[in-house]
Amino acid sequence: MSALPHVAVVGIGTIGCGTFADESLASMTNRAVSAALADSGLRRGDVDGLFVHIGSPRGLDYDEIALLLALEVELALQTWSHGRFGATVIGTACMALQCGLVDVALCVGAFKSSAFSRIGTTASVGFYEGMREGAGPHAETPYVGMAAPAAGAAMSTRRYLDTYGIDRERLGAVAVAQRAAAARNPLAVMRQPMTQEDYERSRWVVEPLRLFDCSVPTDTAVAVLLTREDRARSLAQPPVWVIGFQGIHAGPNEFIFGQPGLGINQADVFDFAPKGADEPVYRRAGVQPSDVGTLACYDGFSPQVLWTLERFGFCAPGEAADFVQGGRIELDGDLPVNTSGGHLSEGHSNGWGQTVELVLQLRRQAGSRQIPDLHVAQWATTLGDSILYADAI
Amino acid sequence: MPTRSEGGLQVRDFPGTGELAALLPPAAAESAPFFAALAEGRLVLQSCSACERMRSPAAPVCPYCGGETATWREHAGDGVVHSWIRYRRSYLPQFEPLMPYVVVCVALDHGPRIFGRLAGDGPDRDPYVGMPVETVVERWPGGEAVHAFTRAREDEQ
Repeated sequence: MSALPHVAVVGIGTIGCGTFADESLASMTNRAVSAALADSGLRRGDVDGLFVHIGSPRGLDYDEIALLLALEVELALQTWSHGRFGATVIGTACMALQCGLVDVALCVGAFKSSAFSRIGTTASVGFYEGMREGAGPHAETPYVGMAAPAAGAAMSTRRYLDTYGIDRERLGAVAVAQRAAAARNPLAVMRQPMTQEDYERSRWVVEPLRLFDCSVPTDTAVAVLLTREDRARSLAQPPVWVIGFQGIHAGPNEFIFGQPGLGINQADVFDFAPKGADEPVYRRAGVQPSDVGTLACYDGFSPQVLWTLERFGFCAPGEAADFVQGGRIELDGDLPVNTSGGHLSEGHSNGWGQTVELVLQLRRQAGSRQIPDLHVAQWATTLGDSILYADAI
Repeated sequence: MPTRSEGGLQVRDFPGTGELAALLPPAAAESAPFFAALAEGRLVLQSCSACERMRSPAAPVCPYCGGETATWREHAGDGVVHSWIRYRRSYLPQFEPLMPYVVVCVALDHGPRIFGRLAGDGPDRDPYVGMPVETVVERWPGGEAVHAFTRAREDEQ
């Protein structure tokens, strides 16, 4: 990507995670957008590209955002109303900036989950997806009794634990580490301390997943502003550079939960040989997994952290449950993971809370959660998408 | 009373309650043979005309070789548990009387892996990865037929 202009995150705004039952989505979204504009020093009229993650009914569609928030844009995009497209929204904004199609890109992740029935029940928003041709996005197959994303996650988890002979309680290290980080994040919804014993006492949801393996549904609004190097250096905040991106993978062998090769959903069974350091995102950025100072990943369920660590070369397949023990992924560990508390404890922000956190960390504005000597931070998911951010280029 | 259909699979009544229609994908030409065969007590799967591998769900292209023609072939319904989960929280009212119930991912012999409820075990009996199972057909109150699995008779564990 050396021939292309560099792009940076220059502004972030968030309203935090919680329940905003009496506030409109437009108001929530605008609070985040106004905060991001103020953070960056840009004005509303500077925004000419709009990249929206979650639309109606959980969030606002792109046209409503532009209309109700008085944004006149020349290029707009909106992705599927699922969590998995956060990085793709930011990556696409970067490409539009690099191609010169827009000058200031506004990315929005704003939605309410509290307004709807519990995810996976017949009255919940999106239940109909379980009855798509084929199956639901998390392998939902309601006519055999298999509903809710937790089911697909649990099915992959059981196979994974059995394949590698892992004690399921070792998943607790993920939940405990992220709760400890959330305790230092005033924007997080779950801040009370949690021990491994608390974790092991939490009730089953879908075996082998416990309540504390599952993320906390929440309402939130986050706005992220990006622009090219020429402008980024003259704004209010230190630029956080996007140094590498790779997209979300899809196909018969990709399933949102588990590693490729586990054989859940439509995926085939085979020995998983992750590319690790050969993933294009590292090559494009010119870094290695060992250069990454903090990892944020999509954690609708705690085992997704293990699978992401393995997929991106931080440890070998089957070894992540050992890797995360002993505080290694806690704030003062070798590789702090989801230092905002992540979806498990900060609240299920569909990746946007983690994006804010990575930017704060690289700006050295993360307060009591600040990771010392941090230069490269990564977002990655079990579906293969990733962004690498850096404090310098 | 469970009966054995002409197709060979055991047919029994669905032990839950309510209507299946709210949980079924919209009728489509590609999935119709699967449900039509279950109604006759048979399990059929799409089979690639080129590589002959069976697949699920039905699709216009073979995920293994890219072949674009397929036939429907009968499967005896035998397989082993590839993975399993147990619902401890109820999401579907139709299945609520069965709580806590088990859903298995079954690797059909020489076939694909498909999901189905594990019927016939008590609430505290764990299945295990590798456990042999047989396919059964459960008839819902509205008359529709859906597949499920039972522990194979030869399973001793």
